[in-house]
Amino acid sequence: MKTTLNSLTLAAGMVLLFSLAGATGVRAAETATNDLPLPFPLIDRFENFQIKDGLPTHKAHCVLRASDGKLWVGTYNGALVREDGKFRRIGVEDGLSHKMVLCMVEDKRTGDMWIGTMRGLNRYSAGHITTYLQTTSGLPNNVIYGLDIMDDTLWVATAAGLGSLNLKTGEWAIYDQSNTVMHEPWVYAVKGAKDRIFVGVWGGGILEYELSNKIFKEHRDPDRDFHYELVHDAGPVSDITSWIAWEDDILWQGTYFGMSRYDGSRWRTWQEKKSPLISNFVNFIWPHGRVAWVGTDRGISVTDGNTWATYRTNEKGEGIVEIARPGRPVETRTMSTKLPNDFVLGIWVDDQEAWFATSDGLSHAIFAAPPKPTKVADAK
Amino acid sequence: MKKLFLVLTGLLVLAPAGWCAYEEKEDTTPSTNFIAEPVLPPGTRPAQKSEGDYPFYGGNYPFYGNVPEEMLPYRNIEPYYRYWLTRLPFYGPGRDYPAPPDLKTLRVGLLSPPPYGPEAVRGEMSKKGVMLAIEEANAARLPGELPFELIEKADSPQWGSAANIAIEFADTNALAFIGTIDGDATHVALRTVLKTEMFMVNCSDPDPSLTETQIPWLLRDFPDNRQQGYLLARLMVEERGLTKIVVFRGNSRPGRMGVRPFVDAVRRLGHPVLQEINFKDGDRTFDTQVAVIKQANPEAVVFWGNPAETGPAAAQLRAAGVKAAFYGFDRLVDPDFVKLAGPAVAEGTTAAYPFDPEKTDPSWTNFVARFQKRYGMKPDIYAGYAYDGAQMLIDAIKKAGPNRYRIQDQMRAINEYNGVCGYMRFDGRSDNIAPIVYAEYRQGCWHYFPPPKAKPPQTAAK
Repeated sequence: MKTTLNSLTLAAGMVLLFSLAGATGVRAAETATNDLPLPFPLIDRFENFQIKDGLPTHKAHCVLRASDGKLWVGTYNGALVREDGKFRRIGVEDGLSHKMVLCMVEDKRTGDMWIGTMRGLNRYSAGHITTYLQTTSGLPNNVIYGLDIMDDTLWVATAAGLGSLNLKTGEWAIYDQSNTVMHEPWVYAVKGAKDRIFVGVWGGGILEYELSNKIFKEHRDPDRDFHYELVHDAGPVSDITSWIAWEDDILWQGTYFGMSRYDGSRWRTWQEKKSPLISNFVNFIWPHGRVAWVGTDRGISVTDGNTWATYRTNEKGEGIVEIARPGRPVETRTMSTKLPNDFVLGIWVDDQEAWFATSDGLSHAIFAAPPKPTKVADAK
Repeated sequence: MKKLFLVLTGLLVLAPAGWCAYEEKEDTTPSTNFIAEPVLPPGTRPAQKSEGDYPFYGGNYPFYGNVPEEMLPYRNIEPYYRYWLTRLPFYGPGRDYPAPPDLKTLRVGLLSPPPYGPEAVRGEMSKKGVMLAIEEANAARLPGELPFELIEKADSPQWGSAANIAIEFADTNALAFIGTIDGDATHVALRTVLKTEMFMVNCSDPDPSLTETQIPWLLRDFPDNRQQGYLLARLMVEERGLTKIVVFRGNSRPGRMGVRPFVDAVRRLGHPVLQEINFKDGDRTFDTQVAVIKQANPEAVVFWGNPAETGPAAAQLRAAGVKAAFYGFDRLVDPDFVKLAGPAVAEGTTAAYPFDPEKTDPSWTNFVARFQKRYGMKPDIYAGYAYDGAQMLIDAIKKAGPNRYRIQDQMRAINEYNGVCGYMRFDGRSDNIAPIVYAEYRQGCWHYFPPPKAKPPQTAAK
């Protein structure tokens, strides 16, 4: 009898608890979700720059703000530096090895800008350009898809292998099918990560290279089938890596089949329609803290892996942001401005602002003021 | 420095074909967490939803690779996610961009294989097919219409050379380009077109993975090793009851990737290959491999490589007393195979093949006549597919005008095409998945046969 009474009390308590929880959930759902904190800033508006605003071409491939505060843009027709509110173009006539600039990285110790093009690598130093070609240096191939600098080493992802240039000695090393585990040296991206580098290989997944031990490790799509993602969260979403990014111990993989995230022990994968990711066609990922800013062919998705915001153009031609929080309906807001084009190729973000390189111009994102702290947050 | 550059360039030119080419190595990485696909009993029906049921296909649209039901990967599991249920469009801008200023010709690039490499002969026939299409198109242009101009550039055996050439096409304002045969070079060039936004038509690379990268700037009209592998699997296992099969393939990307659909297909039919044995491109003696194959005593040996290697290998297998039937993909029909193997050894050899080159339909026979008139020789399949690919591109340029983005739209909208090579059908990857044939070498010549039909399943779905 005592046992029965205790069981009844427990059951009644649980009913009351669930009722309260349910009521809270309903209230929260009924309340406008605008003020709920997000793990990343929301964009309030876009300021766009296109040909009419001084860009030399439609297509911008990459963008970054250098440590001196200058904005650099890689375009289909040269590199741009924004100074005094105007774009200054650096082209072939200035010594650049090719007009199509695909990637850039700054050596923050020297202020040198390394510029990867469709034909050769360039170092822009104090206004002077030095060019590196596969026929005149240790560069593996002239087509350069990605760059990164770690300590004294410049890493170069090329169409025919990964190159490394020792910035102190000028010595090159090439990593390809002959001295690594990659079957084909079709390298698309490279990213330094503390004591190792990650290499995005076209058709070869991701290579992890431990610098101290000189050991290569492969991360491959577990089902080995391009037709399917057999099971999700099991490994890289595809072996065809289009981009990789790393920050705060989180590796992000972009592919044309969705996106993956690896925290050192667990993989997560996302595809369009099965998740809030706007498109499987991921061109670029910029990590900021534990948040990924994802450039796709249909807009930008921002996520920490749980909460998402997606910026795109709707069927009416309006700019919208769609906010997807776990367990809540997607909230759609119409924006007063929109991206110049939803085909996003490059991103740069810090705590203050974001820049987007798109197929039809450059966009500067102004963040919305963060929502006022809630009482719960105050209590903390 | 200039002298050094010239010396290095000279060395590259003099280097033998394949000098820098891919060579396979042992996979020593234990880090991968691959899912092992189970070998299901023969006749096991798929538990997956048929892709023909998906709305896009409407029951008619060709699905990914036209994979036979009994050869579907992981067919006892419904996958979490499927790709290529729709053909990916290019979502970027450009359709309204003006034509390049002072346009005097409509430029089309042709990326040919190295003229001194193993693909040289096929490359030359492809080039002839493309040139004929361009010449005929120009002859039919009306006054005031811009002529087509072919810009040909030959690849070199240096890794990544094709990427540099693809950029040169963009630099010269080519509207699109055609090429190439070698799987490595084609992949390398393909990766650049995503950046240059220039359409690429492939008419001769059999690499099954070429169209599986989701780059929406590619169409291939050549029936690839996937289609050829499925046909061989059905013919050998289902129709002829062969179950003890050995694969003898090139130690190269074409060998490794090309044979994969066949190896997967026969495993899914319940009969995994006994052995997959490699040879190096350039090898001429195969003592070790022959001894291993003889020990296995297979019913069939499937060759996946070029005739320079497979011809002598076939002869050495027979000389060692291996009685297995010989099979392979279309490269076995290359005259060099019979020449190097010898007619007696080649007797009974069976190869998957895109179509019957002895066919008598007017489209093909007229093309053969025009080709012979122009070049004084009969066309082969490579000339035919190159002609058809160029013709599709010419039609697209005519409709779209000199705008790369509208040309892309036109090319990716092609679902079916009737060319000189016959009927073509393009799947969600813009890959030709029309039925192909097989050839048998009997009494001094190749005879062509329609593909085997699917056998009814042995067990009902539960």
